[in-house]
Amino acid sequence: MTKRTRLLSVLAAAALTLSAAIPAMAAAKPTITMSGSTSVAPLVSLLAKKYLSVCGHCVNFKLLQGGSDIGVADAAAGRVTIGNSSRDPKPSDPGGLVFTKIARDAVCIVTNTANPLPTIDQAGVQAIFGGGVRTWSSVPGATQRGTIDIYVRTPGSGTQDAFQRIFMGATRVFGGASPKTSNGLIQQLVTSDEAGIGYVSLYFTNGLHAVPYQGVPCTLRNAKSGQYGGSRNFYMVTRGAPKGAAKAWIKWITHTSTAASIVGTDWVPLH
Amino acid sequence: MTKAAPAEGQPGDRTDQRTELVLGALSAAVLLLIAFMIVFVFTKAWPSFSHNGLAWFGGGGNVDEQLTNIFNSPADPGDYVYTLHAWPLLYSTALITGGAVLIGTALSLLSAMFIVEFAPPWLAKVLQPVIRLLAAVPSVIYGLIALLVLVPFVGNDLISGDEKESVQFVIQLDGTGLIVGVLVLTVMISPIMIAIVTDALRSVPRGWTEGAAALGVNRFRALRTVGLRAARPAIVAAAVLATARALGEAIMLSMVSGSHAFAPNPLDGVTFFFEPALTFAAAIVDHADELSVTPSGQTIYAFAAVLLISSAFLSFAGWVARRSMRKYTLAAR
Amino acid sequence: MSTHAQTRPAPGLWERIRGNESWSIGDRIGVGLAWGAGLLLCAIAAAIVLYMLVRGLQYLSFSDVFSHPLPGLGETGGGFLDPILGTFVVAMLGTVIAGPLGVSIAVWLTEYARPAWLARAVESGVEIVAGTPSIVLAIFGLIVFQQSFFSFLSPTGEGATPLGRSFIVAGAMMSLIALPLVVGATREALHSIPRHVREASYALGKDRASTIRRVLLPASRRGIGTGVTLGMGRIIGDTAIVFILLGATLRFEPNGGLPGWDLLTGNGSTLTTYVFHNSPAGEGGQPEKAYAAAFVLLAIVLALNFAVDMITRGRGKSWTH
Repeated sequence: MTKRTRLLSVLAAAALTLSAAIPAMAAAKPTITMSGSTSVAPLVSLLAKKYLSVCGHCVNFKLLQGGSDIGVADAAAGRVTIGNSSRDPKPSDPGGLVFTKIARDAVCIVTNTANPLPTIDQAGVQAIFGGGVRTWSSVPGATQRGTIDIYVRTPGSGTQDAFQRIFMGATRVFGGASPKTSNGLIQQLVTSDEAGIGYVSLYFTNGLHAVPYQGVPCTLRNAKSGQYGGSRNFYMVTRGAPKGAAKAWIKWITHTSTAASIVGTDWVPLH
Repeated sequence: MTKAAPAEGQPGDRTDQRTELVLGALSAAVLLLIAFMIVFVFTKAWPSFSHNGLAWFGGGGNVDEQLTNIFNSPADPGDYVYTLHAWPLLYSTALITGGAVLIGTALSLLSAMFIVEFAPPWLAKVLQPVIRLLAAVPSVIYGLIALLVLVPFVGNDLISGDEKESVQFVIQLDGTGLIVGVLVLTVMISPIMIAIVTDALRSVPRGWTEGAAALGVNRFRALRTVGLRAARPAIVAAAVLATARALGEAIMLSMVSGSHAFAPNPLDGVTFFFEPALTFAAAIVDHADELSVTPSGQTIYAFAAVLLISSAFLSFAGWVARRSMRKYTLAAR
Repeated sequence: MSTHAQTRPAPGLWERIRGNESWSIGDRIGVGLAWGAGLLLCAIAAAIVLYMLVRGLQYLSFSDVFSHPLPGLGETGGGFLDPILGTFVVAMLGTVIAGPLGVSIAVWLTEYARPAWLARAVESGVEIVAGTPSIVLAIFGLIVFQQSFFSFLSPTGEGATPLGRSFIVAGAMMSLIALPLVVGATREALHSIPRHVREASYALGKDRASTIRRVLLPASRRGIGTGVTLGMGRIIGDTAIVFILLGATLRFEPNGGLPGWDLLTGNGSTLTTYVFHNSPAGEGGQPEKAYAAAFVLLAIVLALNFAVDMITRGRGKSWTH
């Protein structure tokens, strides 16, 4: 029994020391958790990397994804510090949220490089993505024949919201289209499917043919100049006004020129 | 089971009682946890059922659209949208699970007969680790290989442009679909069945099959009529186990059976096999992102509740079937 | 059976009778199908193993095993050290919880089991857990661990709502997967110990608790080992629970500052979710990494199964003289 008592007392002492250490450890670096849009994620990764080197690793970043709606819901429930959103606030969003704009971005319609559509207008987009036209042979300028493979985003995606609002208007997206969870997936699928068509954020158009919308090519320059018709906003969403470490982080993004130059690489800075 | 107790009044009595209490409490705690699980899942799922009533299981409308509408419900709890007619999910689950179990049972019975009777001894020995290997492979690896090998094959080589066109206004065909899901699921659930049936066939008393042989029956027929009959409870048990496994398979199916909650239409002919299908378990995986939005979360828990009820029903059905077959069990057992 | 002086070995019996058999077409087809089924199984297993071997070795590089994944989902490059460690962490957590718990339940069911209705209920409960799909266990885990009572077990945002996803949470739910296996194997092992062993122990004056501790459990070591290893194998191969309960990150994301505990309450990934996320079904466009990780995963699972074989093949203790 003495052996057991000794063992127990050692364990108790260890537990006590650990519990004393907890408050000391708790005063460590703050963590900023972000979740949400897959379109905003690459931008936020780059910004976070730069911010860490600028402020001397003053915070811990944690970046999850899941889509803009997930980011908004997570921020509203307090599950994350900041929700990343690539769509504007909707009336159905929970109350008490603050949307801080950090950049602008372009949404490009993309097809496979073997099928370079010269241009497409809004009626064309609505016809194809709405399911009215289902064969490439009916699409002017298409080199493919056969059924059109439409790739769209899942309901939680901000890019999908932006696409619906900017391009589709009141027309519903074809119910038989394959919903995918990220820009990266759409990029991958349209790259490997010659009969494919989809929409992605400008950053994800590598290896694809970005279809000019109403005659205007989908490029960064046209997005910056405002000529390209398919732009949307990037937001960081917080519950109430941003506080503490998150406030400093968002201020750095929106006010410094370092951040603006990073944004300017593939997105449209605000200033 | 031995429960011989030590003589009363021994010094170890209290340790005995304490041990019994502690172990019993632990077991009861786990039982409570399981009961909580069932209660919680049903509590969370209830709003979805109550808003739809029996129409929850009925048809009508595009399930994907309905799920999107639920996800986009207004923020006010009074305005939550719950409308869901989950018939396509029910139908797909029945199709995929039933198809896999049917094909799997046939495959397993034949394989078990092969291992027990017709295989040369070296091959029978090799097949044992083979079965165990197939049972051990994680479902995500089945899904990976199917997604990178089978699906492109089906999508590019088996589905013709005409077939795609024939359904193009309803659904898009891309290789993921019913046939790939059913085939891979069959391979996944067969090892369990084969192991159980082989054991059962092996424990049929030799006298029975030899008696049949003495009557002039050939090996196959003897095995079929005597061995399989004697092993019927085991076959039922194996089928129930396999069905439970098939019902619960979520990851592999979400990868290869297509992400549309679509009810494949047998009237489409061959295209029926290429149409996407979504089971309840795969639907939970596909829509797991939406758990954070309350009405969506409740709908997803409703899927889980359906799965729980099905598993419970399965165990009960298996138990009933095995009881009714008790008169056929081997006297030696 | 034979009245002759010489005994006929059983296999010979079939050979002798074959001359009198009548094979109908249906029976011949049956045998053919049986052969086909057996060979098909071998072919499928060989195909899976060979394909994984070829692809895995093709894409697996030593640096992969020892480098960290890139933090962004969808970026190319990086290795999978974190997922490998994550797999071990989850397997350890699950086994550490399921092992003692499973053995306790099995011991209680075989040695005590009073009152009888409780014993039957516990048995049914374990069976229910065995039959529940892991995806249902996963979302059940979310319900439980997103209560603020458990906020210390997972990263908690500023709203004091726990994320409900962490290694501890995943490990806890994983233990439910391994539990029925441990309980079943231990019960079998305990059942196979003949009564006279227990009675001898009681006759020597030991009470039941000591008998269990000193005689029965050590004798059941092999069975317990089998159950635990089987459970570990199932845990390592499970994706659904990790997918839901570990957060969508590829690297370790520790939570808080306490060394060790921050890892356990933080997020991360395991080999299974890594393979899933890098396959065409997930975010990543890196099927090569998926193949490499799948190869490592398969190797681990097969090694575990081999270990189970080794354990069960060892000579069992004989209770008779």
